[in-house]
Amino acid sequence: MIRFEEFGKSFGPRAAVTSLTCSVEAGEAVALLGPNGSGKTTTLKGAAGLIRPTTGRVRIGAPPRDARLPEARRTISYLPQKVAFPEALTGREVLEFYRALRGAAPGRVPDVLKFASLNGASNRGIASYSGGMVQRLGLAVALLPDAPILLLDEPTAALDPDGLCAFYGLVEKRRSEGHTVLFTSHQLGDVERLADRLLLLVEGRLVASLTQGELAERLAERGGMRLRLDRPAPGLLAAIRPVAPRATWAGEELVVPGPAKDRPRVLDLVRESGASIVNLVATEGRLDVLYRELVSEDRP
Amino acid sequence: MSFGSSPVVLCARQELLLAARSRWTQIFAAVFGALALAVAASGYVLSGGGGIEDYARTATSLASLVILLVPVTALVIGILALSSDRGATEILYSQPVARRTILLGRVLGLFVALAAAQAIGLGGAGLVIFWRAGSSGLSAYGILFAGALAATAIFLGIAALLASGGSVRRSRALAIALIVWFGAVILFDVAVLAAATLLTSGPASRLLVTAVLVNPADAVRTATLLGIHGTTAFGAASLALLRFTRGPVGAALLLGASTLFWILAPLALAVRRIERADL
Repeated sequence: MIRFEEFGKSFGPRAAVTSLTCSVEAGEAVALLGPNGSGKTTTLKGAAGLIRPTTGRVRIGAPPRDARLPEARRTISYLPQKVAFPEALTGREVLEFYRALRGAAPGRVPDVLKFASLNGASNRGIASYSGGMVQRLGLAVALLPDAPILLLDEPTAALDPDGLCAFYGLVEKRRSEGHTVLFTSHQLGDVERLADRLLLLVEGRLVASLTQGELAERLAERGGMRLRLDRPAPGLLAAIRPVAPRATWAGEELVVPGPAKDRPRVLDLVRESGASIVNLVATEGRLDVLYRELVSEDRP
Repeated sequence: MSFGSSPVVLCARQELLLAARSRWTQIFAAVFGALALAVAASGYVLSGGGGIEDYARTATSLASLVILLVPVTALVIGILALSSDRGATEILYSQPVARRTILLGRVLGLFVALAAAQAIGLGGAGLVIFWRAGSSGLSAYGILFAGALAATAIFLGIAALLASGGSVRRSRALAIALIVWFGAVILFDVAVLAAATLLTSGPASRLLVTAVLVNPADAVRTATLLGIHGTTAFGAASLALLRFTRGPVGAALLLGASTLFWILAPLALAVRRIERADL
């Protein structure tokens, strides 16, 4: 659906993206993650046909077409990072213009206005909109056509909690209908909630591609449990270390780092030792911690 | 797809709407009308008379003012409109429409808006002239309007060329536009006349002829004056052109070709530039 084939883009001497090869399949929601300046926006613009690749190419849709061709752009809707519209227009005028340009049905405008909760403000000039309202109008424009590919650059950056809920619902609906979503975000909550897969870019290079399953596994490895025990046996630690090698005592608490799948066996060993569990706190690995680890591993 | 829903018309209509709501366009129409009226009303002041000049005299007096005012207005309004905010540009050009279609549609909309502003300005003054001085020389006034439209088309094309590079900053494009305007409308003539005084008759004539044809502002001014008054209002450069073409018909054809070139060439370059730009 979206294919980056050795895609590279340089701006003068600075390489924004280097030799990116990956694809996003139909029906997939993929998050592009990375620190500022890692090439996420450039990658998304490559897919939207807004920039000319310095090397390689980006192909869109089925059959695959060069992203810079208007026919390829018929299959996409793009939301830029900094949404802006001419301030002299009203929200409704903007939507009507893009509806006509995309050849969408007239009934789409009230639909997307409702989604964007802009009904009450649709006849007001955009100059009077808040940043969040402009962002919601941008999302509404992106949703006007029933394009099979959504390219969203930090779509939730300026959304309030209501807007965020509506947005999550919408992306989940589009994904369930087989649409493809490629988005960037600094909100790791977006990634956990929406993405089937994440692509991590660092300094223009793809350094990790993790499916939701692989991500869950990695996070689970970074989780663990803390146990407060009554009458712990002296040989308990030695008994559980074959299952949880990093288990240790921290004061009166037994700390057992490791994936969730190993935890029932550890609990069985604790009970078999004759100790009783007074308190148990299980923790999962945090995506932000994993993200920082991945980024720092791949920084030269 | 009907004519009204074709992308070029949709983009033109959108730009026309924006331009019509722009204070710049509204001010331009008002200033244009006020200047035309002031010129018509002050024509007889130097000769000690009073009243409103007829269309022909007003058109002659206005020709230089039009060539001064219209290019700078087209450049400034064109660049302000065509170098929109990055987010707006990205959304617009990510639509499934060829970049050239979007750009040409926007330029067309701006042209219609500025033409309407000129029509309102000149038309308002024209009504007063008709009321006070009758319809004598009305065709000259029409030729002045045609000259203003030609200058608008040329300098909107140049504005499109300056604004269509993706990474061009609006302030930078505006600064370049003002340099272009100053060079074409003021500096060029002074430099050419200064150079001509240093040459002998033959080379000086050739320089003056070339100058009239290569500078769009001069080409439009000369063509407008030729249309209004024949050759009676010509200066040195225009007379050199007339000698070179051996008559007004040849001069009109050359000036027409030059004007057409200056309308089409910047637009063609602007299209090429936007199609290659990273947005």
